[in-house]
Amino acid sequence: MAGVSSGSAQYIYACTRMRVRKSLLIPREDYLRMLNMSLPEITRFIGETAYRSEIDELGTSFTGINLVEVALSWNLAKEYQSILELVPGDLKHFTASYLRRWDIQNVVTILRGKMQKMSAGKIKEVLVPAGRLDRVALDRLVAEESPERVAEALKGEQFYPIIERELPGAIEAGSFAHLENELYRGYYARLIADAKEGVKGGDIFLKYIQLEIDIRNIQNLFRLRAGHIHEDIRELMISGGSFTVDELQRLSGIENQDEFIDSLKRSVKMLPLLNALEDIRGKTALHAIEVALTRVQLEQMERMSKRYAFSILPVIVYLEEKKYEVANLRALARGKEAGLPGERLQGYLVM
Amino acid sequence: MVDIGTTLEMVQASQAGMSAVGAGLAVGLTGIGSGIAEMGIGAAAVGATAENRDMFGLALLFTVIPETIVIFGLVVALLLLF
Repeated sequence: MAGVSSGSAQYIYACTRMRVRKSLLIPREDYLRMLNMSLPEITRFIGETAYRSEIDELGTSFTGINLVEVALSWNLAKEYQSILELVPGDLKHFTASYLRRWDIQNVVTILRGKMQKMSAGKIKEVLVPAGRLDRVALDRLVAEESPERVAEALKGEQFYPIIERELPGAIEAGSFAHLENELYRGYYARLIADAKEGVKGGDIFLKYIQLEIDIRNIQNLFRLRAGHIHEDIRELMISGGSFTVDELQRLSGIENQDEFIDSLKRSVKMLPLLNALEDIRGKTALHAIEVALTRVQLEQMERMSKRYAFSILPVIVYLEEKKYEVANLRALARGKEAGLPGERLQGYLVM
Repeated sequence: MVDIGTTLEMVQASQAGMSAVGAGLAVGLTGIGSGIAEMGIGAAAVGATAENRDMFGLALLFTVIPETIVIFGLVVALLLLF
């Protein structure tokens, strides 16, 4: 009876549900069809898919692009919260730590909004309550008067020490970029700590985290190159992946694009990533490079989730793919609103 | 080996008892086997049905496929007893 334990049935149950949900995501052909539609047509189209209840519910209070935006955020939040409820034991532990990134996004949004004296209603529209802080907790934060008060209300959260340390500087400088970087670096450090805690399945979770950190670092390197920034980038890089921060600093110092890709390829072992880097050689547009790297990440995660069929990976794969579906639909709707041609938009979609 | 004092009736009774134990084991062990086999399939079937109602018929069919193991056990048990 090796390998049979009381927990495995729950894993199979949760992972199957994730796989079924993943199969119901919008396929590539539908995106291609939507590229030729106008905004109202897109709204109607997504109103016939998984987003129906949100589009119906919000249809009376919002119109046009705002309706799509808010419906997408609501759906994402609802979906993530429902997954958090249905996954069992250890998987819940990992899913919750993965979802904490939305807390960071929401808190930084609230801080920015408060800094710029935006109205509470306007801030609420752009929040995605998909993390540990639910709608009620976020409403309470939005109701606070100043960024300092918001930070105080967050006392007890894992990321509070970082906010406490960085907020005064951020307010003085008028920019939350540094604070945001620190929060995300703290988030990844925390993820690694959670994975190494000794909870069953942590080693598999760690594989995902390392992949995510590697891809994120490589994307950031390409971004920095596009911005011609070659100074000390150590504080912009995330440690814990297969590259050390010093190695990344060395890579960022290479001026020539071909040389940069060559030396990056020497440090990378993953075959799909090597192929993608070779493809990137011919590309100059930053968004094309980013989309290519994101695709590699998703494909690699998909491959890993098949190797570890009943682990945290199928859950994370679905969460990530759902995130990109929402991002794609948002890009489509925004692009159509701005009157961009379909061919141009296609380059921005992760399909 | 038969003891000197054992009569024919006692030998026959002992044989019948042994085959009853064998029949019991055949049904019991195959029951446990199909239970283990159905655990994973059943969990996946419930998961798939929860997401998509149309899966119910197919999921039920897949779940009961390991029942064949217990039917083999039952056949063996019946052969032993009759």
